[in-house]
Amino acid sequence: MSKPSDLVQGTLHLLILKILALEPLNGWSISQRLTQVSGDVLQVSDGSLYPALHKLEQEGWITAEWKPSENNRRAKFYSLTRLGRKQLEKEAADWTRLSQAISHVVSLKKTAPEKA
Amino acid sequence: MRIEHWLYTIPLRLRSLFRRNQVEQDLNDELQYHLDHKTEQYISRGLSPAEARRTALRDLDGLTQRKEECRDMRRVNFIENLSQDLHYTLRTLARAPGFTLVMVLTLALAIGANSAIFSVIRGVMLRHLPYPNQDRLVRFFLTSVEYPKFPINAFDFLDFRARNRSFETMALMSRSDLQLSGVGEPQRLMAFRATAGYFHTLGILPQRGRDFDRSDELPGHERVAIVSDRLWRTRFHADPNILGAKIRLDARAFTVIGVMPEQMRHPGNEYRPIPYGDNVDLWWPFTFEGKDQRGNHYSEGIARLKPGVSVAAALAEMNSIMAQLAREHPDGDGGWHVLVIPLYTEIVGSNQRTLLVLLGAVGLVLLIACANAANLLLARAASRRREIAVRKALGAARSRLIRQMLTESTVLSIFGGLGAALIAVFGVKALVAMLPADFPRVNDIHVDFSVFAFTLLIALATGLLFGLAPALQSSRADINQNLREGARGSTGSARHLRLRNLLVTSEVTLACVLLIGAGLLLRSFVNLIQTDPGFRAERVLTASVALPNETYKDGPSILRFYNLLLARLQSLPAVHASGIGSDLPWTGYDDNVGGFVIEGKKPPPHENFHARYHMASPDYFRALGIPLVSGRFFNDDDNMKGHPVLIINRAMAKRYWPGENVIGRRVNFFEDNPKPDDKNWCTIVGVVGDIKDTPQKAGAEPAFWWSFPQTPFGFPSLMITVRANTDPASLVSAVRSSIQEIDPTLALADVRLMQQIAQANLSTPRVIVTLVALFAVLAITLAAIGTYGVISYSVSQRMQEFGMRVALGAKPWDVIRLVLSQGMKLATLGVVIGVFCALALARVLSNLLYGVSATDPATFAIVALLALAIAALACYLPARRATTADPIVALRAE
Repeated sequence: MSKPSDLVQGTLHLLILKILALEPLNGWSISQRLTQVSGDVLQVSDGSLYPALHKLEQEGWITAEWKPSENNRRAKFYSLTRLGRKQLEKEAADWTRLSQAISHVVSLKKTAPEKA
Repeated sequence: MRIEHWLYTIPLRLRSLFRRNQVEQDLNDELQYHLDHKTEQYISRGLSPAEARRTALRDLDGLTQRKEECRDMRRVNFIENLSQDLHYTLRTLARAPGFTLVMVLTLALAIGANSAIFSVIRGVMLRHLPYPNQDRLVRFFLTSVEYPKFPINAFDFLDFRARNRSFETMALMSRSDLQLSGVGEPQRLMAFRATAGYFHTLGILPQRGRDFDRSDELPGHERVAIVSDRLWRTRFHADPNILGAKIRLDARAFTVIGVMPEQMRHPGNEYRPIPYGDNVDLWWPFTFEGKDQRGNHYSEGIARLKPGVSVAAALAEMNSIMAQLAREHPDGDGGWHVLVIPLYTEIVGSNQRTLLVLLGAVGLVLLIACANAANLLLARAASRRREIAVRKALGAARSRLIRQMLTESTVLSIFGGLGAALIAVFGVKALVAMLPADFPRVNDIHVDFSVFAFTLLIALATGLLFGLAPALQSSRADINQNLREGARGSTGSARHLRLRNLLVTSEVTLACVLLIGAGLLLRSFVNLIQTDPGFRAERVLTASVALPNETYKDGPSILRFYNLLLARLQSLPAVHASGIGSDLPWTGYDDNVGGFVIEGKKPPPHENFHARYHMASPDYFRALGIPLVSGRFFNDDDNMKGHPVLIINRAMAKRYWPGENVIGRRVNFFEDNPKPDDKNWCTIVGVVGDIKDTPQKAGAEPAFWWSFPQTPFGFPSLMITVRANTDPASLVSAVRSSIQEIDPTLALADVRLMQQIAQANLSTPRVIVTLVALFAVLAITLAAIGTYGVISYSVSQRMQEFGMRVALGAKPWDVIRLVLSQGMKLATLGVVIGVFCALALARVLSNLLYGVSATDPATFAIVALLALAIAALACYLPARRATTADPIVALRAE
């Protein structure tokens, strides 16, 4: 399985969940939204998006429904489930904690070594 | 939380499994939707439609791979792949019916043989004895320098019981059959006298009535009986009012005080043996009669250890008690030690080795079958290399290929397992029929659920074992090379060939070990049946009759009965000779008398003169066909009025009068220092040939016979032997009516042909040799198939080379020699290693062998040659094919 090489591992799930928390979307729109919200910083390849969506669906965090899209073509729309909402909270909290910890480490000032 | 999770996931999984097409369609549509939009987006950015589409596809980074990834997310892929693999496997197997048949058949035979032997082992060795806390039950015996395992003296037992602290309960039992009369046909009952606590020790108490207690042990209190469930049902119609009823046993009235439950099993005994099983009809009290004496030994001990007491601790305590007794009663109790043996060992012990040898043999067969199956699979994998390469090129992961090939081997082994279950069911039936009736726990051998579970387990393990190596090997195949070599087939890679050679060599090795084992057992068995038994079994009918003490109170009345009986039998035209004796050859009789006086001889220090004692009427020897070595048989003058006479066997003559003429020598059983004119001197009048206790024994024990009328004491039952002029079985009713015309209350028991007795003594070795030979044949056949497979494959790969050789002038024989030498190199290596393995394993067989050393050079040599010959044959067929290589084809191909 190819890993999203340009994304911190596991954050793709968080991003998808977060996007879907705002509104139900189909895969294409999610990919558009991902590029849109994160700009060029987070490059999510199309290839890794769909396996991730299917994974989240199989975990029961999102659920899918076939609905007509804007141009009346049938598309698979994903929406967040109750479990997904909980998962999002958890992953978001984890992310915040992790990023804080990392930024803390990164912002450490160099100190002089103590003398023995 | 969990449940909510399932609420979403279970419908999804079910949908993925059962609406697969719909799910696939959805996946296609979803990705198509994405692609279309992406393409449009690129077009709107100014790319040509074709280019836009290509770029969109490239963004997805491989459409099929992404799809497969999405499928992987469904979590049911495992099942899906499995069902795919299964379909595929069944299809490919059906396309190669010959291969499939050989695989399934060899596996079924190998696994089935294992299941059959496992059911025997489970019945005999693994199943617990049916006594509560059976691991605390022990048997105890006496032991001395001369007698390794000897019955207990009753008065010693009383002291053991009073002084020990190791045992919860302790009891004595002693075989003492009784004759039931008064209800229907008289019947000899298998009966034991038992002390209080006997049933308590076993942990099985009467279902009705009471157990024996100490008051039943008092002299004269023996006329109460506990009957078996079977006897209660068959002879007393399960009468609920049986308790307190009087029954006639040995012409005396006994009161029934108890009925044992159906699950009662006799624990087996050593002296006048009855094997373990549901075979004892009745128990009556063991009473302690007469004055304290320490010389008689005819009862056997059984005891239950207190929780936490080890056998060793109990043994130590019993021996310290024995040492006290030896100080208190130096005459009777000196020189004895106690033997404490777990009941399980006592029942199963002697056959453990036999069963383990058989288990080892089937285990080897299974290993060979595995090697064989792996070999065949490798050969197949080699011809499927292109297919595998193509699948790999199309993106099949290695793990996926391995899984598919393991599915194939597992399917084969499961089919084999199904066949094996069938073989086990019938094999076990056949096996049980072959085993002697007194084989311990033979009735506990059944094919049950655990046997099927075992079969399945073995089948699965086998499938993995023989499938893994080929699967790993072929999945490693180099795509490029294989695709390039294409349909022409490739010469196997060196590693591939090495593995197959290794497999064939080990097959030959294992088969060789089995063949050598079978050869040794066969020679031993031939020795056994060719050894002169010392009697002539054909046309001899035997039966036993017991005269109740009550009606036959003294010697003369007993004698009168037997004289009448013999006269009647002798008058039957079909009777050649008839006799009465204390026992029959090969039936476990081992009554000994020790400490007699031989005129003019002194026993070696710390030893007694001792010998098996028997009793015989004049024609007993003639009826059994026991040869006279010197002197004469008994005659009618050797009666109570005549001078006491004795017939001894050759072993006794050799032991006590080596190199001397023994006729006329005298023995005295009653006086310690007899005067020359003592009236108890017995004169030896004849020497007869030896008969060993069992055919497997190295030699006969010293033995002598008293003339029937002069026997100093009575025997509980006597054996009738009749040598017929015709079929002895036709004489049974004549013998029975002869007896009942004299005394209608007497039962004829143990009616057997001497040939049956002889056969029964050989049946265990016969079973072993038959099975091991069967396994060895199976093994060598498998090894031959394996050798044939490898050589034949290599020939088919080298046809061009052979064609070239023929084109360059090689004679057919040159080609044959080339192929043969390739195969024989493997076979010879296998045989050499096999011979060394067999030498190393020789010890295992040594005490199952008779008259042949476990390292018998002749057997080893013959087996080695045989194995090589079979291997040569297996190579010869492909070699012949090699000679047909067409030089034209070869030249054209180059």
